[in-house]
Amino acid sequence: MTIGVIKVARPREMSFPESLYLLEIVKGLGVTMGHLLSNIVRQEGIKTIEYPEVRRPMPPRFRGKHRLMKRENGAPRCVACYCCSTACPAKCITIVAGESPDPAVEKYPVRFDIDMLRCVFCGMCVEACPCDAIRMDTGWFTPPDDTREKLIFTIDTLLEK
Amino acid sequence: MPTLTLNGMTVDVPPGTSILDAAKQVGVEIPHYCYHPKLSVAGNCRMCLVEIEKFPKLQTACSTVVNDGMVVRTDTEKVRKAVTGVLELMLIHHPIDCPICDQAGECGLQDYYMKFGLHKSRYALEDKVHKKKVQDIGGQVVLDAERCILCSRCVRFLAEVTGTRELDFFNRGDHSEISIFPGKPLDNNYTGNLADICPVGALTSKDFRFRCRVWLLKAFDSICTGCSKGCNVDAHFKGDILYRLKPRWNDAVNQAWMCDFGRLTYKEMNEARLLTPFVREEGARKVAAWGSLLPDVAFRLKATADKSGADRVAVIASPQSSNEELYLLRRLATELLGTKNLAFTHRVAGDGFADDFLIQADKNPNSRGAQLLGIPDGAVFDALVSKISAGGIDALLVFGNVLGALSEEETAALLANVPFVAQVGTNEGPVSKAATAVLPSASVAERGGTFTSHVGRVQRFRFGFPARGKAKNPVEILVSLGNRLGAGWSFAGEASVFRALAESEAPFAGMSYDSIGMLGQEIKT
Amino acid sequence: MTGPLFDIAVTVARIAVFFAFCFGLVVVMTWVERKGAAYIQDRRGPNRADIFGIRAWGLFHPLADALKFLFKEDFIPDNAHRLFYQMAPMFSLAPAILGIAIIPFGPDVTVMGRTIALQIADLNVGILYLFAVSGMTVYGVVLAGWASGSKYPLLGGLRSSAQMLSYEVSMGLSLIGIFMVFESVRMSQIVAGQGGLLFGVLPKWGVFVQPLGFILFLVAQYAEANRTPFDLPEGESELVAGYHTEYASFKFSMFMMAEYLHMVVGAAVVATLFFGGWQFPYLGDAGFLFPGGFAVAVPPALVLLLRIGSFVAKVLFFAWLYVWVRWTIPRFRYDQVMRLGWKVMLPLSLLNIFATGLILLLLNR
Ligand code: SF4
Ligand code: SF4
Ligand code: SF4
Ligand code: SF4
Ligand code: FES
Repeated sequence: MTIGVIKVARPREMSFPESLYLLEIVKGLGVTMGHLLSNIVRQEGIKTIEYPEVRRPMPPRFRGKHRLMKRENGAPRCVACYCCSTACPAKCITIVAGESPDPAVEKYPVRFDIDMLRCVFCGMCVEACPCDAIRMDTGWFTPPDDTREKLIFTIDTLLEK
Repeated sequence: MPTLTLNGMTVDVPPGTSILDAAKQVGVEIPHYCYHPKLSVAGNCRMCLVEIEKFPKLQTACSTVVNDGMVVRTDTEKVRKAVTGVLELMLIHHPIDCPICDQAGECGLQDYYMKFGLHKSRYALEDKVHKKKVQDIGGQVVLDAERCILCSRCVRFLAEVTGTRELDFFNRGDHSEISIFPGKPLDNNYTGNLADICPVGALTSKDFRFRCRVWLLKAFDSICTGCSKGCNVDAHFKGDILYRLKPRWNDAVNQAWMCDFGRLTYKEMNEARLLTPFVREEGARKVAAWGSLLPDVAFRLKATADKSGADRVAVIASPQSSNEELYLLRRLATELLGTKNLAFTHRVAGDGFADDFLIQADKNPNSRGAQLLGIPDGAVFDALVSKISAGGIDALLVFGNVLGALSEEETAALLANVPFVAQVGTNEGPVSKAATAVLPSASVAERGGTFTSHVGRVQRFRFGFPARGKAKNPVEILVSLGNRLGAGWSFAGEASVFRALAESEAPFAGMSYDSIGMLGQEIKT
Repeated sequence: MTGPLFDIAVTVARIAVFFAFCFGLVVVMTWVERKGAAYIQDRRGPNRADIFGIRAWGLFHPLADALKFLFKEDFIPDNAHRLFYQMAPMFSLAPAILGIAIIPFGPDVTVMGRTIALQIADLNVGILYLFAVSGMTVYGVVLAGWASGSKYPLLGGLRSSAQMLSYEVSMGLSLIGIFMVFESVRMSQIVAGQGGLLFGVLPKWGVFVQPLGFILFLVAQYAEANRTPFDLPEGESELVAGYHTEYASFKFSMFMMAEYLHMVVGAAVVATLFFGGWQFPYLGDAGFLFPGGFAVAVPPALVLLLRIGSFVAKVLFFAWLYVWVRWTIPRFRYDQVMRLGWKVMLPLSLLNIFATGLILLLLNR
């Protein structure tokens, strides 16, 4: 049995002036100064995204904040089947079903809360929904808020988006 | 005995056994919808088709009786194709309402589709025949004719079990549907069973409608507390909330059925429960701690017995208590307090309706047990009540939420004659509104024990989930009261109490939780 | 105004003005550092804090920071030594600012017939005083590290004491050459000595007479100030935040101020010792006198302004150099720092002294 030896390319030995670093440091300073000056003069070179005003376009499959879809008449499309809350690994969806005022719909969610603090944005709920009633295509994160209660999204908030 | 060869296995079955039943014995599942063991065989759903050697066509397993030497196969391509075809036919006009259907999760169509179907629909959505949905047909069920697969189980149940025949098929072909006769809603006391036997979501429970998804429920074995029949039930719960009761098969008691009244008794275990111990001081409730209330109650009972004589202390038992609790209570009253004032009553407010099937006039699950344990009923109870109203009792320990058939006012007036009333009860009621000290008790779902049915069948109900609030198992309450009265009991849990009970009480002699098992055991008479 | 009173007034005024200059520069430097870092890294840097909607390129951020530090909860960790924990930031801040006392901001001026030095104290021990106070900074760091009662600060404190002591040596030795050349340790004399010309062309600045000494001193000073590439005491990738891990609110801001004061004072020292202090090249008391005999007369007031201005400009440049270097050179590994200190800097500074002595001996013969 032979032991395999892999030759790894070593960095080349430094020449004497390089090993003094003096010139190299000055060169480095030149590079950074170049960036500094060009960025002051030409602001386009700056990569920063000015966050709240400018938003990075999200890829189409990005899983963001949830929203509940509406029927044509504005009622929630959700029929409170509990599939999403059953699939949810974080157990953060609370549904209370009720008899819908619309007899053709029969069942609808009286309460539909998502605890965004517990949600792991896995998208299982969207996958599980037989009615395409819940989506995560808002292209946006959960915004921060100052109380826990405000981050438990109720059916009204979810329908708005 | 005829011998059947099924998929290569051989099995001996009694004459007259159907292939479907025989297959069950060897653990082969033959899909079926219309067949129900407790109903006559109809053979109309065609799901149970099997291949029998020397038969040119497939045969229905539910209606074909085993002959000696029969060779049956359920695993051939021919059978599979036939079953898939039958299923597809059933689903042609099916609305596939699963998201809003309460049957989803325990639905025959879903189960068999996953096992035998998995086909794509070949039928256009627009061509589906629509029938009337969400029909209130009376009783405890809602009918959705669209979901019906026309298995006729419900028709046969109403014809053969209740004999009331309210449902039947109407129209033909694609348009045939199940319905009641115009203006004649379901009218019997067993309508809830229709939702159980309907293999799909055509008949679903009104009470359970949309309340929970069945896959979220857990179940435990229990006994219905609605009457002294002692129907075996499965209690379904989530968290600490009971959602429904379903009959548990017991051929000796309720077969596969239960009555509508009993089905709703679970509500009592959810609503208006006593959750914290409290005392009543100058008419106002004051929350008390178990640690101080139990010694207080024991002390009051003891002090009254010592000072004014045991004759001025009384104990009222409850036929809602288990055998174990009644046994301890009797010993507490007679041995520890030394009083003869011990009685119970099986009477309840209302008419005490009974029929010749399941429903019994006695609306308590354990009146028989109380009698067998030597706690007197009837006249003795009436005498005790008169004694109380005459002011002859100074300290009273009451089990149960009501005093027989007495109304709230009557109860309040009666108990006003007693300076100290301690109650062990599960729910708010006439007694808790008048008692001086209230000790909340675990409900039937929150404790274990045995009831003795009206025919003397001892049956176990099991612990489902921990008691709500600060409620305690009454066995625990009794043991702790007894020990404060000097009993020196070392019982831990109802099983140990039952062992002692079986040793000392003749009717229960030789019984144990093991011998009672799932289905109960009759006492020796 | 009577003599002593005038003296006191002048002294107080000088202290006030020079301190204000330093602290003002600290505030600006925090902004310069963040903005500079951002632009070097192709970012935008702080630009959000505003007053009535005016953002002014983030210039209000230092103000916002100060307010934030003031209003943050000021807590003392459970394991900390309460007294020393509170003293450490002061020990850090005080020595950092004390160095400014001996820096001449300009030539002597004559006001109302009196000569006033633009220097808080022209000590005859000059540079030795500087070593003394800068040597004290290590106490602040070590004390903070130890008194926090937590492991990362302790490691940071240990590192910094070793590092500062090592570089103290080469820093001292690297300046010996300057003393030898200018034959004084008094700051005013060193500055005055740099007014002349070398070979008749070059200003006789320290950097030209002591190039090696300058480099050594500059490096040693970066190490003393715990600035990148020598910021190992607070190397966040290894030590969370080093000696000030457990500090928050105003105490933390004192450490930050100390760091920036080090930069400012360090820049002033380098400017004074090696870049002629307030000397403006070829500018004499009466005006410019360029090599080759070309002369331009300049009014005395302008001369004074030019000289102070030249000093301030030099200080600003060297303060910026700190920032510039920080965002250019990565942090050393700890053994590299030690090797550089003892195996390179020390022999080189000794060599520098030897060479300077030799040259001076030859020149003076
Ligand atoms: S994204 Fe995942 S965790 Fe969040 S609600 Fe949906 S299923 Fe639950
Ligand atoms: S899975 Fe869809 S329809 Fe079902 S409850 Fe969730 S959102 Fe509603
Ligand atoms: S009956 Fe079964 S298949 Fe039909 S809608 Fe209900 S759950 Fe779905
Ligand atoms: S309603 Fe249910 S039980 Fe009755 S025929 Fe239809 S599927 Fe069968
Ligand atoms: S079960 Fe045999 S035909 Fe329905």
